Amino acid sequence: MDATGEHNGTGPIVAATALSRRFGQGEAAVDALREVTVEFPSGAFAAIMGPSGSGKSTLMHILAGLDRPTSGSVRIAGVELTELDDRALTELRRDRIGFIFQTFNLLPVLSAEENILLPLSISGRKPDRAWFDQLVDTVGIRDRLTHRPAELSGGQQQRVAVARALISRPSVVFADEPSGNLDSKASDDVLGLLRGAVDQFGQTVVMVTHDAHAASFADRLLVLADGRIIHDGAAGSTEEALDLMKSVG
Amino acid sequence: MFTLVLRGFMQRKLRVLLTGIAIALGVALMAGTYVLTDTINNSFAAIFQTANKHHDAVVTPSQPLGRNTESETSPITEAMLAKVRATQGVKQAAGTIFTVGAFLTPQRKRLTNGGAPAFIGSLVPPPFNAFKPVEGHFPENAEQVAIDQDTAERHNLRIGQQMIVAGSAPARTYTIVGILRFGGGESFGGAGAAILVPAEAQRVVGSPGRFDQIDVAAESGVTPQQVRDKLRAVLPAAVQVRTGGEEAKHETAELEKNLSFLRTFLLVFAYVALVVGAFIIFNTFSITVAQRTREFGLLRTLGSSRSQIMRSVFYEGLMLGVVGAVLGLAGGIALAPALNALFKAFGADLPNNGTVIESRTVIVSLVVGIVVTVAAGLQPALRATRVPPLAAMREGIEIPRPIPSRRQLVIRFVLVILLIGVVRATLGGGSALVLLIFVAARGLRLYKRLRRGQEQPPYRITRTLARVVGTSVRWRGITGRLAQENSVRQPGRTLTTAAALTVGLALVALVAVLADGFKATINTAVDRSFAGDLIVENSQASNEAAIPAQLAVALRRVPGVASVTPIAFTKGRLRTSKDNEAITAIEPESFAHVYRVEWTHGSDATLLGLGLTGVVVKKEFAESHHLKVGQTIEVHTPSGAYVPLRVEGIARDNARLLGDLTITLALAGAAFGQREDAVDFIAYTHGASNSEVQPRVDRLLASAFPQARSRTAAQFKKDQAGQINTLLTLVYVLLALSVIVSLFGIVNTLILSIYERTRELGMMRAIGTSRKQVRQMIRYESVITALIGGVFGLVIGVIGSVLITSLAFSGSGYVQAYPVGTLVILLFVAALAGLLAAQLPARRAAKLDMLSALASE
Repeated sequence: MDATGEHNGTGPIVAATALSRRFGQGEAAVDALREVTVEFPSGAFAAIMGPSGSGKSTLMHILAGLDRPTSGSVRIAGVELTELDDRALTELRRDRIGFIFQTFNLLPVLSAEENILLPLSISGRKPDRAWFDQLVDTVGIRDRLTHRPAELSGGQQQRVAVARALISRPSVVFADEPSGNLDSKASDDVLGLLRGAVDQFGQTVVMVTHDAHAASFADRLLVLADGRIIHDGAAGSTEEALDLMKSVG
Repeated sequence: MFTLVLRGFMQRKLRVLLTGIAIALGVALMAGTYVLTDTINNSFAAIFQTANKHHDAVVTPSQPLGRNTESETSPITEAMLAKVRATQGVKQAAGTIFTVGAFLTPQRKRLTNGGAPAFIGSLVPPPFNAFKPVEGHFPENAEQVAIDQDTAERHNLRIGQQMIVAGSAPARTYTIVGILRFGGGESFGGAGAAILVPAEAQRVVGSPGRFDQIDVAAESGVTPQQVRDKLRAVLPAAVQVRTGGEEAKHETAELEKNLSFLRTFLLVFAYVALVVGAFIIFNTFSITVAQRTREFGLLRTLGSSRSQIMRSVFYEGLMLGVVGAVLGLAGGIALAPALNALFKAFGADLPNNGTVIESRTVIVSLVVGIVVTVAAGLQPALRATRVPPLAAMREGIEIPRPIPSRRQLVIRFVLVILLIGVVRATLGGGSALVLLIFVAARGLRLYKRLRRGQEQPPYRITRTLARVVGTSVRWRGITGRLAQENSVRQPGRTLTTAAALTVGLALVALVAVLADGFKATINTAVDRSFAGDLIVENSQASNEAAIPAQLAVALRRVPGVASVTPIAFTKGRLRTSKDNEAITAIEPESFAHVYRVEWTHGSDATLLGLGLTGVVVKKEFAESHHLKVGQTIEVHTPSGAYVPLRVEGIARDNARLLGDLTITLALAGAAFGQREDAVDFIAYTHGASNSEVQPRVDRLLASAFPQARSRTAAQFKKDQAGQINTLLTLVYVLLALSVIVSLFGIVNTLILSIYERTRELGMMRAIGTSRKQVRQMIRYESVITALIGGVFGLVIGVIGSVLITSLAFSGSGYVQAYPVGTLVILLFVAALAGLLAAQLPARRAAKLDMLSALASE
């Protein structure tokens, strides 16, 4: 196992084997995930779709170390998550994973710049100025750096969130409905940014969405239903994704 | 509707408990005060009843100047006793002595019990004697003593051992021959009694041929009232005659008055704690109303009227008040013994036989607790009614603050003026002033709001303060930075939370500054006025215990002593006045050798001319009574006489040794019944050193006057500072309760804020903030809030004490001093309090579920 987490770029960045997650007990028990095995190779953009209750969010929570599976294994950059204690897991999230949320979740008391640098501040690391500048220019919020989230539009906030997710050069970025709260223009901007991160920086992105249009930005599309992967293939166009969803919906 | 309130109440048990405790602690101190003081009063009533049980009539000295002013020379003589015995209807009469003295071991160690008095009593024949020997017997000669059981047990004294009983005459050693039990075994608290044979008791207390009291038993068939009336007819006005029952009631009433300060003193702290509690209730309700905006909006959409919303919040306050008041009452009953122990520790050991819970205690505690809670919740309840139904649909709707119309403003103004008038009339000017300041602050805020329209008031000071104190945690990186920002996210809320702590800390700072000023004042005054070398006083001088007049005579014979001047304190009343004035009696020939009088009119020579007809008055007294040199005033004395005195001089005295009036000891003895001295000032012969003379003085004291001790000026100042510190500590302990109450406020606010920020905290955890960092952030936030409260408290406390002293003590030589060390420590205490308050909220925040941050709407 590669303990430092440095990845050589050939194997999968995220690998899940026989993941199961059961909520509740006895008669009321719900199986959110049933024996899911999936791998995400480096430098690819994957979209996970599925109807409500399909288990897509649960899968992402477990892959990102926010929730623990009932059984099965998750490896990120070679590190087995299920064996880590809370502290190690926290550090792994801090250093190896980036997050983008549907509701942006910026800290209202910090400026845009401070929000972007938050993951580094938490770990007490010095920011790489060149990288920061490159990110800020890429997401296009240089003139908004001193503003607080309340002074930014939804699209601007989500662009700040994208920069925040990338600032620590994570092994993988998990995005949970990143365009869910945005209008179509802002939505395309943010999805384009994620696409660009994959193409320009070789970033690995895993996105959960129920929006077929959003999924069309990805390289690969997984569809979940009833806790199982029922489709795994190239993302294709919006129409193809819609058809797929109709077939399970 | 009520069911809904009840449900909500049960769901928020922790908050109900935390908020309830805020009010319960104040109520507990209040109930505990009542229980303790009722218990003490009741215990004394029982003691006095037992003491007067077999007395048909009792003859005691009258007190022409009121309570606690009896003359040191009793008007009851052997001749009067004979007259009583000769009165028709009197079967038996006995003269008795019962006076405060001192008990010591043969090694001259004081047998003291937390400052409680040691009584010297004369053996009284049956049926008057309330004591019974449980071991040994009553004294039979002048060498023997019998002591009460409590004193014997406390100091492990046994029959056959020796002890010293000291009064106003040179002390003697006695053999303990009996251990006594009083009546039904009632405890005296820390007080003790030593019974001597009558003649020896008279000698020790310095009243040969005189008694403190005459006990009378009537012939059979003669009622107490009849014998009382018979005696009244034959005895002079200098004595009172009462039936045994009346005497017991009278003594009880006097004692209750003497101890009433205790109740007032404690109740002040209870009210302070209640005010702090009210702040917390107000804040908690304001926050929860804000958090439940959506719920209220929904209720309004579903058709609830405004008054229904109002009632639902009101009921919540009412139920909280009931919970808090009941908890407080129960706590108070449990607290009473602890309060008693506190006073015992600070030198007031009072009898405490059987806990007394009066219905008044229950009613007042419950009513005050409930009313304060409901009143504090009123404004938030009103605010809840303003939630628009639209709030149910959208998040983040602000509750509108209506801008009052001109007419409403006028009505408010009139109401406020009326309220201030009522408070002034019922509670006094001080309370009205506090209210006025509060109202003025609110008015200013309202004015600012009117100017700016709906905008939130800016809370500039709070924000600036948060930035300043926040720098103390900034070095901790992002957690410190976030804590600083979070602390002023809702500056109004922060301010109210901090204000609860401010109240307690302001009072602590206030008394700390005052106490430091008093110490500095005493030091300055002693340095300036005392020209002698040594002070001799009773070792219980702080309890106003006196020293024998013979001591001065004995001290004059000590080699190295050049002059000794005795000083005594008494009281008197101008014929034209209703108040007693403090009177100092001095020896004119020697006083100026050891004391520098600051004359306004007159000189040290004036003292020599005072004689039995002259008086020196204090400058302030002369001014307030418009007295000039040469005028004559008529003074009513404790022995009932009226003495005309000519004003011979006017003097200032910052050391407060001189009373309003200064007379000669000769006059005090002749017309005021003064027998004992308060203190002797000593000046050494030229060239004599303290290291030689003080040990000689101490040897004299040990041999004949063991109740006295010698003090150099430095030692005296240290004693005075020590006394102030003791009182200060007691006040600190009682104010600590208010600080504890405000801690609950911080806990409450933090928990509610954390609840509001669930999503934010979840996100932070998701992107890699450790639990430790989350805990740290909450702790810092709490520390900043506490420090804001602390800084405000210190500033208000210091300004307040400077105001008080400059208003009340201007021109009296008060020396302003600032206990910088104490104030700095107070800030640390505030920070520590914040840290403590954050423990539970920080743990809760760190345990928050991260997934909530990701959960979609």
